[in-house]
Amino acid sequence: MSALDNHETLTGAVPRMAPARLRLPEAVTGILLILPAIALLLALTCYPVLYGVWISFFNKHSFFPQQTFVGLDNYLFLLRDPQFWSAVWLGCVYSVSAIVLQIVLGVGAAVLLNEIFPGRNILRAVVIFPYVVPTVIAVILWKWLLNSQFGLVNYLIEQAGLVDQPISFMGKDWIMASLILVSVWQFFPFVVIGVLARLQTVPGELYEAAHVDGANAFQRFIHVTLPQLKSVLFVIVLLRSIWMFTKFDTPWLMIQGGGAETYIRTLPVYTYMRTFAYYEAGLGSAMAVVMFLALAVATACYFRIWQREENL
Amino acid sequence: MNRTFSLLSPHGQAVLIAALALLIFTAFPFAWMISTAFKESREIFVTPPTLWPRDFTTENLARLFEETRFLTYFRNSLVVSLSTVATTLLFSTPAAYSLTRFRFYGREKVAALILFTYMFAPIMIIIPFYVMVRYLGLTNTHAGLVMAYTAFCLPFNLWMLRTFFQSIPVEIEEAAMMDGASRLQAVIRVILPLALPGVVATGIFTFILAWNDYIFARVLLSADELKTLPVGIADLYNASVVDWGMIMAAGLLVIAPVAGVFVFIQKYLVAGWGAGGVKG
Repeated sequence: MSALDNHETLTGAVPRMAPARLRLPEAVTGILLILPAIALLLALTCYPVLYGVWISFFNKHSFFPQQTFVGLDNYLFLLRDPQFWSAVWLGCVYSVSAIVLQIVLGVGAAVLLNEIFPGRNILRAVVIFPYVVPTVIAVILWKWLLNSQFGLVNYLIEQAGLVDQPISFMGKDWIMASLILVSVWQFFPFVVIGVLARLQTVPGELYEAAHVDGANAFQRFIHVTLPQLKSVLFVIVLLRSIWMFTKFDTPWLMIQGGGAETYIRTLPVYTYMRTFAYYEAGLGSAMAVVMFLALAVATACYFRIWQREENL
Repeated sequence: MNRTFSLLSPHGQAVLIAALALLIFTAFPFAWMISTAFKESREIFVTPPTLWPRDFTTENLARLFEETRFLTYFRNSLVVSLSTVATTLLFSTPAAYSLTRFRFYGREKVAALILFTYMFAPIMIIIPFYVMVRYLGLTNTHAGLVMAYTAFCLPFNLWMLRTFFQSIPVEIEEAAMMDGASRLQAVIRVILPLALPGVVATGIFTFILAWNDYIFARVLLSADELKTLPVGIADLYNASVVDWGMIMAAGLLVIAPVAGVFVFIQKYLVAGWGAGGVKG
């Protein structure tokens, strides 16, 4: 330990030949280099978050500076607002189904892309592509494919004899399913990247041993692959849950240009509407705070459960 | 081909079929977009639909340039995204270097702070951010938007660069300094060239985030001549009658730059993922 420290001070104290000049202590240089970034983080993310909490105690117009202190009224209003509870429910339906499907499809695709077959590297690149495409494009693209009059999907399922008349995918019965489909298409590559990276480090001997023991492909997946993926899936589920629960642009853009709006009005969409359509910045902020607290509590529980699992 | 296929083991056959299904699911929507973009207006709506344009036409592209402000949106997106990359890297590169090379009180706390802010979704900060930008008189300016993107991109940017700097052995820099170079010289001549691929990859991730964003641009800009591509295209789409051919042509041009840099970043995606990856 002390040898290491000596080594560091030796090399840190730079050669005697260096011309004499003002030398800052190491720690000071380090702090000076990182200070601008920290200041920016505090000013542009931490401060707005705290300011948002502050606004949530006011009755505040989104555009005009007037504001009146109302204490917890915004929060009490939410408790009694049926639209808020509907948004919470729709948000949960949306995020939970989208997350489950993303994980299942993502893990499946990663396992597949870890096999050896011709064109594997090209497919690896293609699969990731939907993730880097702007949400606007992803949504419009699928709205065209799912179009009730001229959409290719409707044409194909009609030809296959699955339906008698075209399905209105943006109508009230189907829009949630369509939204989930678009989201899974857009975000499952995130799961693929993470899982595939981990799979590549799983030693092949494990599979050989399982093979010798007579395990079939499914058993090998359950008993060899899944335990190896446990920690990477922990992170993926956490990040994806946070991002799906707060996802705004995909549902919002689905509604544009004639979507059955109230059927996919998730919490982020409702927050946005309250703030930028009804100009109730105070109420909107209160919802943002609720979202933040809900996520913080869920994350804490998630970590707690994880630690207990680890200790067993 | 059929013959070769039947020669494969059942396992090999299953793998190929699954691979084909995966390819169709991810790539076909793009193929359909390209095909629609080059079809004549009439052909777009025919039944049965044609897989590939019978009469290849560029009239959709021409309409896009003549009848809409697509080029203005494109230029705006380019200006805003490149400014974001420059600003973010200017702040994050020294910070990431400091995080990996210096010891100081609170270094671990700083890393925790970065991870914490990484979790803030746009919808959670957009309201106070909007009020703040309005107070500063920066609504309807690209500067306000660049500020928003910098705030949004900085955490993952720092995290990713930190990983790249960690992978460069300190000994290299120490050797340069032993040879009489000052720290600044060592950084410029030795470390930066080594870190360059990582810095470029991080810059590209930032570019894509800024290029793709919808919510900040929607809220912070209202003047049509200032709009970026995602907002401009969403508004084109919301116009009374949807011109599918033109919208698909627009989509094609928006993803073209992303597809261009994608080839380069693909090998960094895994590294980027490990470092926190892209948000979304």
